[in-house]
Amino acid sequence: MTRARVRTLLQWALCVWLVLVILGAFFYAPSALGFKGESARIVFFHVPQAWVAVLAFCVNLVASLRYLRTRDALDDARAAAAARLGLVFSVLATVTGSLFANVMWNSFWNWDPREVSIVILLLIYAAYFALREAVPDEERRASLSAAYAVLAFVTMPFLVFVVPRIYWSLHPDTIIGATGKLKLQMDSRMLQVLLGSLVGFTGLFCWLYTLEVRLARVRLARAGREEA
Amino acid sequence: MRASTLLSESVAVLGKELTSELRSRVALNAVGLFGLTTLIAVAYQIGPYRIQEQDRPHLLAALLWVILFFAATSGLSRVFVKEEDARTAKTLRLAARPLAVLAGKFLFNLILLSALYAFIVPLYCALMGYSVQGIASLALLLACGAVALSATSTMVAAIIARASGSTTLFAILSVPLVLPLLVMLIQGTRAAAGSTAIAAVLPALRGIVSLGGATLIISVYLFPVVWHD
Amino acid sequence: MPGAESLVWVAAVTVVIWLGLFAYCVGLARRVRRLEDES
Repeated sequence: MTRARVRTLLQWALCVWLVLVILGAFFYAPSALGFKGESARIVFFHVPQAWVAVLAFCVNLVASLRYLRTRDALDDARAAAAARLGLVFSVLATVTGSLFANVMWNSFWNWDPREVSIVILLLIYAAYFALREAVPDEERRASLSAAYAVLAFVTMPFLVFVVPRIYWSLHPDTIIGATGKLKLQMDSRMLQVLLGSLVGFTGLFCWLYTLEVRLARVRLARAGREEA
Repeated sequence: MRASTLLSESVAVLGKELTSELRSRVALNAVGLFGLTTLIAVAYQIGPYRIQEQDRPHLLAALLWVILFFAATSGLSRVFVKEEDARTAKTLRLAARPLAVLAGKFLFNLILLSALYAFIVPLYCALMGYSVQGIASLALLLACGAVALSATSTMVAAIIARASGSTTLFAILSVPLVLPLLVMLIQGTRAAAGSTAIAAVLPALRGIVSLGGATLIISVYLFPVVWHD
Repeated sequence: MPGAESLVWVAAVTVVIWLGLFAYCVGLARRVRRLEDES
């Protein structure tokens, strides 16, 4: 089978999978106890979005490190593609999380450490693109944004892991953590849908990412030929 | 071949920064004035009596760091941007090795921050009626916080100086990186204000020291890349 | 608690949005493939 046919097959498989996930989230998974109405179902979309935002961050880091080593423009394109997708998914994750918080606890924002860390990720992506916009020269843009991405990656764990530890020790009575804590008491059908959704969203990310990288490769090849 | 050591070159860069700064005092004035203005505005409107007793620990710690960060942002990026503006950057690249430049400018920012803290913090405590019980803990927290903030800011300043150099870009890039630090500093200050034991600030201190350390280590790798572009 | 009908509605809307996005992405994929085949 040619590459193109494999790709088309995978695309359709992804479409079917995600339609099944959506239907499963609404009809197959039972209503969760302790949640207001059906609001828990948003978790099936919210958690994978946050996961993809972090995944995109890791892909960005790897591509940035590779760029710093190889100075290949394609690696810079990879980093930018991952960051673009990461921005989209972190916005989605923040919005869905906020909607969920509003239904559950009647306020759009609670300053829960996990909520704050997804916003920080969003700010990092936004800053990354602000930096890219500010540099007209391509090579300099690539190395500066790669440097910033690595710097940001080093500082991120502190918010995700260290601050919650301090936070909890000073404030033992804060609100319950976000939906990540649910996993332990999850109904098996809910777990199935959640895992299926995770796989589906990861597949979606892979597809969109490879599309962008392929496009970048074509553009670079074309630009290379125009110069020659 | 270089006859000078890394240490001597770093000291030389630091000396150059201090000399040029004392000559024109631009960063000092900006940082000091921003800090003082914000402090006076806050102290005048809020003062020691307008905050309720139960809110005092949180608000006073948070307000202090808002003032300090706001003042710091106005001056910390100068250290690289002025080189690009005055077109002395190329000479500096030839004159000193990159790590020496990083070390010298990092130390300069550290001194600038320490001066800001030494100026604003006692004034704030006096004007706002902030009674800090653990003065030693607070001093330790301020010192470690200054190191961490200087590390992050110097690296970000190096990046934006090679971009557009604007303070806005500096603020945009540093906000996500400095937010965890800010949170830890505010919590640490609250803990230090509340008790004399150093143990109270230890959790925050651990976080701040590791953040500063990690940033310094990664800067050693990243700075030459950014500097020699 | 929202009734079953509204659940069906939300599910239907979500599926429609996803199919729309999918169609758009497939269109993009076709364009990229055409560009690749040209060069």
